[in-house]
Amino acid sequence: MEMEEKFDAIIVGAGASGLGAAYSLAKSGFNVVVLERGQRIGAKNVYGGRIYSHVFEKEIPGFKEDAPVERWVTGERLTFLDDSSAATLELSSDFSSENSFITTLSKFNEWLGKKVEETGGLVISGIKVDDLIIEGSTVKGIVAGEERLFADVVIDAEGVNPILAKKAGLRGDWNPHEVAVGVKEVIKLPESVIEDRFNLNHGEGAANLFLGYASRYGFGGGFLYTAKDTISIGVVVRVDSAIANRISVYDIVEDFRLHPYISKLIKDGSPIEYSAHLVPEAGIHGVPKLYGNGILLTGDAAGFVLNRGFTVRGVDFAFLSGVIAAETIRKAHEEGDFSASTLSHYEQRLKESVVFRELENFRKVPNLLSNLRFFETYPKLLCEILKDAYTVGEDSKKIYPLLKNKMRDRVSMITLIRDIISVVRNL
Amino acid sequence: MSDGGDEKLSVEARLGLVAFTIDSEPHIRVNQDECRKCSLKQCLFVCPAKLYTEEEGEIKFNHEGCLECGTCRIACPKIDWNYPRGGFGAHYQYG
Repeated sequence: MEMEEKFDAIIVGAGASGLGAAYSLAKSGFNVVVLERGQRIGAKNVYGGRIYSHVFEKEIPGFKEDAPVERWVTGERLTFLDDSSAATLELSSDFSSENSFITTLSKFNEWLGKKVEETGGLVISGIKVDDLIIEGSTVKGIVAGEERLFADVVIDAEGVNPILAKKAGLRGDWNPHEVAVGVKEVIKLPESVIEDRFNLNHGEGAANLFLGYASRYGFGGGFLYTAKDTISIGVVVRVDSAIANRISVYDIVEDFRLHPYISKLIKDGSPIEYSAHLVPEAGIHGVPKLYGNGILLTGDAAGFVLNRGFTVRGVDFAFLSGVIAAETIRKAHEEGDFSASTLSHYEQRLKESVVFRELENFRKVPNLLSNLRFFETYPKLLCEILKDAYTVGEDSKKIYPLLKNKMRDRVSMITLIRDIISVVRNL
Repeated sequence: MSDGGDEKLSVEARLGLVAFTIDSEPHIRVNQDECRKCSLKQCLFVCPAKLYTEEEGEIKFNHEGCLECGTCRIACPKIDWNYPRGGFGAHYQYG
C-alpha cells in the first residue's frame, strides 16, 4: 500500500455492515478498502446462529442459491425454563416459507467478503485500525500501526465496542444496562441425529429461545440453533444484571448445557468451540449520532439490533445500514462534499428503511423487557403450574385454584393481566 | 481432550477449544491503584473466560485466552482496554 494513496472510502471492520457498504460501493466502481483486524474475515465475528434473509435477497442477486445456508428455519420454539423443567411453545411450519436460516457468522462473513472481492472491492485482514486521522472536525483517514491511509470518507463498522466512534465524538460508551454479554458453545453432532432429535426434514432447522433459568432469572435468555452438523447453544445476560446478581458469566453456558432439557437435546455431542461477544440491547434508545464530517457509523457500533424476546435481528440490519451508507457516499461523491450536512442523508434514508421502522415500532420493548417478572416469576410459574396440572393423582386441582395458589406472594392477578396486555400491545 | 458429556467442563478446558495466536504483550491492563479502591471487583466474575483473578490482594489479568468481547470494559471503565494487534488473539471458526 502506498502512503499517498487516497481511497474513495475506508471501511473499518469486515463484519456484515462493513461488507455491505463495501459490496455496494465496489459494485458502483468506487475504490474502497475494508480493514479487518482478524487474521481472516470472520475470525472475530460471533452471534447466536440465525440470519433473516429478506434484506439479503433484495440486495444480493442470486442470494438463496449461493449463500452458505446450513439450514432454513422451519421450527420455532420458545421455552420457559426453571431449574429442572421446561415449558415450550412450538411452531412447526412448512419448508417453503424461507424466512430465516442458520449458519455461522464466521462462514457467512467470509462469503460476503468473497462477494466484495468479486465486485472489485479490496478486503485486507490482519490489520487493526488504531486511530482516526482528524483534522479540525473532519475525519480524513485512519492510522493502522505505522500506516496512515486517507479517504474521502471513513465508514466506522468497528462493531459493538465503539473505540473509534468515541474518538470521533459520535457517541459515548455503552452503559451496562444497554448491552448484554453472549456466551456460546458449539456442539458437534451427526446431521441425521440433529434431524431426528428436532423433528426436521433434511435441510430444515430449528431455532429455540429460552427465558428463565438460562440467564439465572436475570435480564437475558438462552438460545439454541441447529446448524448442519453442529448445534449452537448460548446464554445472553445484560451486563448490569450480571454485575448486580454477581453471575459467574464463565459458567452460565456450561450450566445451561447441563440443564436436563438441553443435555438431552445435545446428548453424545461434544463442544468444539467456546466464544463470547457483546450484543446491543437498547433498541432505538441506543442509537447515537450516525454521521460527522467525513465519517458514517454502521452496524453494531450504531446499535442496530432488535431483540423482541422471541426474535433477535441484527445481521440483516447491519448489512442494510452498510448499503445505505454506500448510497449516501455515492450522493456525497456526486456533490463533491463529504461534510456532515451532506452525510446527514444517511440518517434520513435509514429512517425510511426497515432498520428504523422496526426499531421505532418496537421502541417500548427494551423497557418492557426490563421487567424481571418475564425472566423469573413467569417462567417459574408456568413450569410449576403445568407440572402440577399434568400430575394426576387422587385429588387433582382445577387450574384456577392452582394458579391462585402458585401466584400467592409472587404476583397479583392485576399485575399479571397488566403484563399480558403490555406484551400483546408492544411486542 | 474431554468430550464434555454430562460433566461440567472447566473454563480452561473450554478455552482449549479456541484457536489463538497469542501476542507477547497484553492488550488489556489493570490499574492496581484503582483495583485496591474497588469493593465490587466485578471483573472477577463477569469475564466469560475467567481471566481476572485475585492474588494476595492484587488483581491479575491473563491476556492469553481473551475472547475479545469487551464485557470487562463495560463492567469496569477503569480497565485500560484494547483489542489485540491485527492478526492476533482468537480465531473463531463457528462464531
